[in-house]
Amino acid sequence: MTEVSYGVWDGVVYDSRDGTSSRRDSELPPLANFDVFDEHNRIRAFFGDRGFFIFDESVSLLDALWRQMVEAADQSCGKCTPCRMGTVLVRDALDALRRGERSRLGLADIEMLAEQMTATSMCGLGQTCARALLAALRSFREVIEAELARGPQPEQHGMAYMTAPCIEACPSRINVPRYIDYIRDGKPEHSLGVILQKYPMAATCGRVCVRFCEMACRRKFVDEAVGIKTLKRYVADQQSGPNALTFGRELISQPLGADMRVAVVGAGPAGVSCAYHLLLHGYHVDILEAMSEPGGMAAIGIPAYRLPKHVLHAETDIITELGGRFLFDRALGKDFSIDDLFARGYRAVFLAIGCQQGISLGVRDEDPTMPGYKSGIGFLLEVHDHVAKLRTIALHGEVIVVGGGNVAMDCARSALRMGAEKVHVVYRRTREDMPADSEEVEAAIAEGIVFHFLTNPVRVVSEDGRIVGVEVATMQQTAPDGQGRRNVAAVPGTERIMGCTTLIAAIGQQVRKGSLTTEDGIKFDRWNCVAVDTVDLSTSRPGVFAGGDCASGPSTLIHAMANGLKASRSIDDWIRLGHIAFQPRTRMRELLNDNRMLADDAVEVPVKPQYRVHHPELDPSVRKQMFEEVEQTISPEQAYREAKRCMRCYRTYSVITENAIANISNGA
Amino acid sequence: MDTRDMVMPAATELTATINGTAVTGRSNETILECARRHGVYIPTLCELHDIDHAPGTCRVCLVEIKVKHADKTHLVASCTTPMQEGLDIHTRTPELREMQRLQVELLLADHDQDCATCIRHGKCDLQDVAQFVGLRQNRFYDPARVAARPVDESSPALIRNMKRCIRCQRCIAICRDGQGVDALIQINSGLETAVGLRHGLTQKNSACVTCGQCVLVCPTGALGERDETDRALEMMYDPELITVVQFAPAVRVGFGEEFGLPPGTNVEGQIITALRQLGASIVLDTNWGADLVIMEEGTELLHRLAERKRPTFSSCCPAWINFVERHYPDIMPMLSSTKSPQQCVGALAKTYLPEKMGIDPARIRVISIMPCIAKKDEIVRRQLVHDGVPEVDVVLSTREFARMLQRERIDLKSLEPSTFDNPYMSEYSGAGAIFGTTGGVMEAAIRTMYYVVNSRELEHIEIEQLRGFEGVRTATVELGGEIGPVKIAMCHGLKPTRQIVEQIRAGKSDLDFVEVMACPGGCVDGGGTLRSKKAYLPYALKRRETLFAIDRNRPVRQSHRNEQVQALYRDYLGAPNSEKAHHLLHTYYTDRKIEMTQTVREVWADIKMIGKVY
Repeated sequence: MTEVSYGVWDGVVYDSRDGTSSRRDSELPPLANFDVFDEHNRIRAFFGDRGFFIFDESVSLLDALWRQMVEAADQSCGKCTPCRMGTVLVRDALDALRRGERSRLGLADIEMLAEQMTATSMCGLGQTCARALLAALRSFREVIEAELARGPQPEQHGMAYMTAPCIEACPSRINVPRYIDYIRDGKPEHSLGVILQKYPMAATCGRVCVRFCEMACRRKFVDEAVGIKTLKRYVADQQSGPNALTFGRELISQPLGADMRVAVVGAGPAGVSCAYHLLLHGYHVDILEAMSEPGGMAAIGIPAYRLPKHVLHAETDIITELGGRFLFDRALGKDFSIDDLFARGYRAVFLAIGCQQGISLGVRDEDPTMPGYKSGIGFLLEVHDHVAKLRTIALHGEVIVVGGGNVAMDCARSALRMGAEKVHVVYRRTREDMPADSEEVEAAIAEGIVFHFLTNPVRVVSEDGRIVGVEVATMQQTAPDGQGRRNVAAVPGTERIMGCTTLIAAIGQQVRKGSLTTEDGIKFDRWNCVAVDTVDLSTSRPGVFAGGDCASGPSTLIHAMANGLKASRSIDDWIRLGHIAFQPRTRMRELLNDNRMLADDAVEVPVKPQYRVHHPELDPSVRKQMFEEVEQTISPEQAYREAKRCMRCYRTYSVITENAIANISNGA
Repeated sequence: MDTRDMVMPAATELTATINGTAVTGRSNETILECARRHGVYIPTLCELHDIDHAPGTCRVCLVEIKVKHADKTHLVASCTTPMQEGLDIHTRTPELREMQRLQVELLLADHDQDCATCIRHGKCDLQDVAQFVGLRQNRFYDPARVAARPVDESSPALIRNMKRCIRCQRCIAICRDGQGVDALIQINSGLETAVGLRHGLTQKNSACVTCGQCVLVCPTGALGERDETDRALEMMYDPELITVVQFAPAVRVGFGEEFGLPPGTNVEGQIITALRQLGASIVLDTNWGADLVIMEEGTELLHRLAERKRPTFSSCCPAWINFVERHYPDIMPMLSSTKSPQQCVGALAKTYLPEKMGIDPARIRVISIMPCIAKKDEIVRRQLVHDGVPEVDVVLSTREFARMLQRERIDLKSLEPSTFDNPYMSEYSGAGAIFGTTGGVMEAAIRTMYYVVNSRELEHIEIEQLRGFEGVRTATVELGGEIGPVKIAMCHGLKPTRQIVEQIRAGKSDLDFVEVMACPGGCVDGGGTLRSKKAYLPYALKRRETLFAIDRNRPVRQSHRNEQVQALYRDYLGAPNSEKAHHLLHTYYTDRKIEMTQTVREVWADIKMIGKVY
């Protein structure tokens, strides 16, 4: 257990330097996972927005506080006076003092500027970056004065990390405040550039993302979360057509030799994202795809009224522009095996084959081959082919969709567009429990889809070998279990038959059977997904990595794209180094998460309410007949207005360590 | 458009205290607005109420608040913080004043200290605020830091000096939200934050149309016109030269307040006296040029109407011409080819006038005094310079003219008014006078076109339906004869203009004639007019009323009845749109659209962010 020598956190002073608790105001907080930063590298001190902890009494406060301010000055947006000037003046003064040089500004000046920044800055960065400094000057000034008396401070190791709640919430750690800032600045191309650092599918993400960032957005304490997804779509759509940012091979700073080849299996969001980053690292990448077009679940699973195909394809084309190759109509397990890939000279393989086989309901008389029975994913594939004019599908009569996720919503809304007279959604829990995006549920209701909550199928009803209905039972919620989650149980005697011509089972998907065989040497986990190390995405077979739905089970686009980036790093490390390198920024995040450092604090002062913009949408009565895009892009005026709502909740954290941190130059 | 966009909760009244006194606040106002309503002064710098601009960046308007039931106080920017029931607000505590003082000191740490050389000296919001907060020291000033800030002197019209910028973003707001030009962006970050032109272009080569509205809102001397007072003075002092000075319709109604006269006073006579005192050889009136433009443009328009070419756009506003060439070159064929009144006067002052007066044209220099800075841009257009000789040599904005008078210690207020005496190019009709306000060109044109079509004067020449003040006004006017009804529109401000242009390009408009003035209000509030501190275009309507009054009091109120213009056609040009008229009074336009495509590599090289991957 790490011992705090002294420090201040949330205004509480801790001091155990003399072995007693003479200045200990209260019990030390439990600090988890704080012993070492990376291997054999002790954490000597930690600085954050709420204060600081010194574990090693010999740490130089002057040097550590200077490091914290270097990061703040570097990241200051420069809009407001106290932060723009204050961070720089304080940084330079601390720099002179830690070197033992004369400084124009003394400790009193530094304290005055730190107070000014903290009390009067416009955003979270300026308001919080000097809090540790102020705490040190107020409670441990004698330590700093003693350092000044000693002269130049010893060289220290460590790193600083700036983040925000929305960044931490995003699986891809998109720098959300930064890209919103660039919109405010009038530079949508720079805004897109921030997103493109993490994945190529910005317009796609701007349309279908589930928005973990918005759930974490602190603007919700004032009015509503910032429309982060809406803004992402705006910048992506701004940069389309003749104004598009151009990609090219010149982006690749260090092209690698012809033998540095990597195979990506699956052209979905995870595969495309991984290929994108590998290409930028200089590798030669082939994406093998079972279908005859790229996009994976983004192409099949998301109907055209939410994600037009041309939008998706413009983004998957980036792979080709960077020199990558799509090899279509090549299915793993049918046309090639993992062994084949290594035999063809690929140095590593990324498996991103998704979960493309529907899970059956597991009820009496269910026969997935019976006419009228469709799996959710199978139905969306039919819809895709219909829209692509590959075949014509028509529905009639009433359609029942079973499930409460986004796939179920997509099936229901698509069924309406395919000619169904009435569409029912049957879900065994309550509306609040639905995993689907609530905006999707609202859109479905607006289009006239009928929801049956707390209702569960128990038997499939057929006549003459065709489905004619489903027997359902009413469910009720049981008492909360240990985790507070309430289960549901059937209410006896509530069984009844709902008639239908088509039954769509959209309760989940799994990895397609037969894609991977025992010869491939890839182990599965107990959920029948590809077993991976969650830190580096390696599988049981060396050189093979896996990510996206096939490793995690059906999940979101943003998770898949985040996996793609993570896998690209692991593959790069594995090929070049033979092992996976330490990720300092990931470790910093772990420290923050394990100790709940990033407080979700309320907004204490009044902020002018400014309600968020909404995508202009077509009328439900019109849109339910068509597969053209329902939502429209916002105007520049709306984008400027929405961008101004961001409160930039940046926070700076830093550690001082015993030795230099491994792989410190590595970006994220 | 989704209606949810517009829904804001209805305002309610609330009670709060400011400095211990109970006040009635409104739920939809900020603390600053409430304090102002109650006569409590809070120093501000970046905020500009008239353009609804409160970015909260300068952090000078600090107040101390205590939220109801809270136990501690907070310092907040009053311009962005809304009123709330039970707020306890203090504006003058010692701690607060200390912090306001430090804020201004921090602003000056990165600001050119050489106030005496500044174009805004004595009229600067920053100087005012420094005085208010009692700034007595400047501990953080670093000359090297300021010296490194860029100054963009590329434009003939305006100079952008980042050594004096306080990052209030007013210029960006007026360019983006006010004018809809959106040429200015925020560049760099941290201490290097500055205002720049999109795509890193220079002012001269950018999407900027030099309307100069940004100059009107700039609180310091960061934005200003290119000062040409010295060049003008030198010409007037040179005995070898004959200086011909003209001044625009709007100058005479937007100048007196600088010398303590009530805003909107007509000081035409005093300006003539002042110019003669300064040493101008010949004083002409741009109003005369306006009458001439009506003859040329009206005739051109009637031809185009007969040929069913529609619409025709007016062409007398140089910022509008820049806007078309930079942003919508595809509509250039719809622009009238008639030069602006300034250029018509300039062209004839170096041809017709010397011929009539028997002087050597090579000795003539034309100086114009304009409420505009785009006019400085206009005189260097290559179409308007012939064999190296420009039609107009120097443009002085109204502000420079004021500065020139102050330099010569001429007090306009005490001058005896005089009258124009040039027998060739100084008489004007009421139609020429109203060119300076939005709708004026249209009204003047209709008066004359009606006469041309019907061979009789329009009965009610003050066409009320053209005289509104909305950004876009449309009307249908019966011209009679073979022409019949014509659909017209008047736009002022480039944001409304853009809407009309977009409609026309989309084929959704059946307009025949469109008058455009780039500045809101027209020339009376042009980018070269006197600046007002803490206010944006406060005198628009007063100046406009005076122009209408001038019109009412003129013996002749139609351009075609201007006898000096009639003499010009009789003695020199022949008829409107004659070959000679075309040669001297018409021009053409060139496509100067800015097409920039950027690569991801360029953008990545420029982005600043934590955890950059590439």
